[in-house]
Amino acid sequence: MTPILEAKNLSLFYGQKQALFDVSFPFEEHAVTALIGPSGCGKSTLLRCMNRMNDLIPNCRIEGNLLFKGKDIRDCDAVSLRKDIGMVFQRPNPFPKSIYDNIAYGPKVHGIKNKNTLDEIVEECLKKAVLYDEVKDRLHESALGLSGGQQQRLCIARSLAVNPEVILMDEPCSALDPIATAKIENLIGDLQKEYTVLIVTHSMQQAARVSDITGFMYMGKLIEYGETPQMFSCPQNELTEKYITGRFG
Amino acid sequence: MRKITNWKESGIRGVWFTSALFASLAVIFILGYLLITALPAFLEVGIFEFLFGAEWNPTGSTPSYGISALIVGTLLVTAGAMLIAVPLGLLTAVFLAYVAPKKLRDAVKPAVELLAGIPSVVYGFFGMLVLCSFLQRTLDIPSGFSWAAASVLLGIMALPTIVSVSEDALSAVPKDFREASLGLGATRFQTISRVLLPAAASGISAAVVLGMGRAIGETMAVMMVAGNSAIIPSPLWDILSPIRTLTATLGIELAEVSAGSMHYHALFGIAVILLVITLLVNLASRFVTKRIEQGKALFVLPSLPSLPFRISPRITEKAAFAGIYLGTFAVLAVLAVILGNIFINGIPAVTWEFLTESPKDLGRAGGIFPAIIGTLELVFGAILIALPIGIGAAVYLNEYAGSSRITSLLRTGIDLLSGTPSIVFGVFGFAFLVLFLGWGISLLAGMICLALMILPTIIKTTEEALKAVPQSLREASFGLGATRSQTILQVVLPAAASGIITGAVLSLGRAAGETAPIMFTAVVFSKRFITSDLFEPVMALPFHLYVLTTSVPNTEPQQYATAVVLICLVAVFYIAAAVLRRKLQKNLS
Repeated sequence: MTPILEAKNLSLFYGQKQALFDVSFPFEEHAVTALIGPSGCGKSTLLRCMNRMNDLIPNCRIEGNLLFKGKDIRDCDAVSLRKDIGMVFQRPNPFPKSIYDNIAYGPKVHGIKNKNTLDEIVEECLKKAVLYDEVKDRLHESALGLSGGQQQRLCIARSLAVNPEVILMDEPCSALDPIATAKIENLIGDLQKEYTVLIVTHSMQQAARVSDITGFMYMGKLIEYGETPQMFSCPQNELTEKYITGRFG
Repeated sequence: MRKITNWKESGIRGVWFTSALFASLAVIFILGYLLITALPAFLEVGIFEFLFGAEWNPTGSTPSYGISALIVGTLLVTAGAMLIAVPLGLLTAVFLAYVAPKKLRDAVKPAVELLAGIPSVVYGFFGMLVLCSFLQRTLDIPSGFSWAAASVLLGIMALPTIVSVSEDALSAVPKDFREASLGLGATRFQTISRVLLPAAASGISAAVVLGMGRAIGETMAVMMVAGNSAIIPSPLWDILSPIRTLTATLGIELAEVSAGSMHYHALFGIAVILLVITLLVNLASRFVTKRIEQGKALFVLPSLPSLPFRISPRITEKAAFAGIYLGTFAVLAVLAVILGNIFINGIPAVTWEFLTESPKDLGRAGGIFPAIIGTLELVFGAILIALPIGIGAAVYLNEYAGSSRITSLLRTGIDLLSGTPSIVFGVFGFAFLVLFLGWGISLLAGMICLALMILPTIIKTTEEALKAVPQSLREASFGLGATRSQTILQVVLPAAASGIITGAVLSLGRAAGETAPIMFTAVVFSKRFITSDLFEPVMALPFHLYVLTTSVPNTEPQQYATAVVLICLVAVFYIAAAVLRRKLQKNLS
């Protein structure tokens, strides 16, 4: 089976400074892949390469290949790439619009105008993000009135609304309390049936709980990756073992 | 001992409070004085006839005092100006906030701000010499002095306000929104138009209203290019028709009216109406901003009718970015044309004699030395009056006042003062200082009018400087047992000095370019000798340029040279402000 996303000898530079070194990593479809590693190891940078969010940073360039369904992402149109590869950010960032409009925004920019279709999309996405029951009576109130955890689930629902194939999550729970975190983690498990999820996380427990595959990064290099239970029970690399057992990080 | 300290404390507090009160009382007094002087006209003519009467002919054998054509003129000129300034301004603001790389932005932003620094009389001068004759030649019409010319000029003048205020609003939109939208696969333009612009809506509407206020209140530039026939264009959309605004009527007629006549009272009626219009605009802007901030959109934009086919976002994107680049380019081109024209024609005529001699033969020969000195005397006098009051008011508002009723009243007063068109200060000064107090056309009257005009700016910049002083400094001072007034005088004000001085110097630049407040109160066209007698009239650069341009034929080289000197003088103040800010900040840290 060919992986849906694949990094081949990927290096990334911010001006003179190299942030990723020769990373090769196949990401399997319908799996949850977690990237772990200490702060500044390049895991978020790698994630942001996938849908070319790094394009927004001046002087940033990549070498090597990053393939989406076998096609180099630099040959893809950045806009349609981001439609196929959605992203959930570290801090919940709902637009200052109503809950409904937050979710309808994506479909609208992609040309859907029919009110009924939009209504259906909004309801479906909120249900998928397990938020519908909490907000169904106030869909037209401001999204900024939601709690942090609800806002993050709204952001996930918002990214589902453009029907992506891959969802990138950049430490989606780092700004949330444990209960909200548990809800998001459950949600990630559900999403796996329909989507491919890549999650960057600080928390090894979280990686162990939600992911099928885990990659460990250190100083811009991918040290090793493998099936999550394998990685956590008997890592191959000494560095990985030290990190997992909490001896540094 | 303790008692004395308290006395002293409340005494000092009283001084600050009085300063703050002064600004508000000044507005009430000006409004009241104008109203009382206008009353005979309102009573005699009847308020309805005054507002809606079709004919303005105060000097006819049967004089008529209907100002409807002037009100319509003001509204049309302003609307035309906004039609030009809002789209261009927004495109430029978007370019600066989201499109331009940092280096380009750092070059374009000051250039746009430079447009704001050009004195309005220089715009008028450029309009008369270049814009109107261009219109006349290209459209082959009898005269280029028209609604169109006035709107173009006012549009250019309103641009910098709209650009810089909306750019601030756009830059303040959290970066998260942008990433979230792009992350959903929206194009850059979709992100800008559907997320970023709506998120900055309150700031942008404030920008538009400020620009509108500037256009409504402008006198000199409009008066010099609008043709000034008191008629309603017929048909109403005839943009080549001459037109006359409320401000221009005051500028043209006040100097020649005999005091106490019905015509005189009617002119004050116009000033009152002008003030009321600006007041309404200010109130409307507050209302709109508040509604938008509370998340209640005032106007729900109807969604565009769906086209039978979908234009690909890619094409929209291309078109939109082309628009953004073109808009910004147009703004820069305007600046280049204006400055280029003036400097190329003006520099050769700026000679040593021109700078150091008195004018001869109605300004056709000799120089403008007395005008340079007169302008400097006026602006430094104005700042000496405005600075202590402004600092006092700002200290009271920022350091003492809570959010009480009185504070909000004081703030409203200061807001009103800052929204007052500059010619209103001139009209007030003429009636009260020159005629009623019997000072005559005098240096002191001009200083006071300019001081009133710059007072709100000084209060605002001082307040910003005070807000930037870290609370920890105040706490440290209180912690050592210092009183509030000691803390303010010895810790807070020195720490805020760089901001306060910068604000003051910027105000000097603004005052130096103003004509409307001084033309009835302080200046004469020609004066052989330099005077520093406060009760003597002086010459001033902007007024000199105005009279040369409008009334003395065959003085083009002198006009250009005067414009160059005036622009340079204003620029010196702006540059000085920038240098001072950098230097003083360094000394502090």
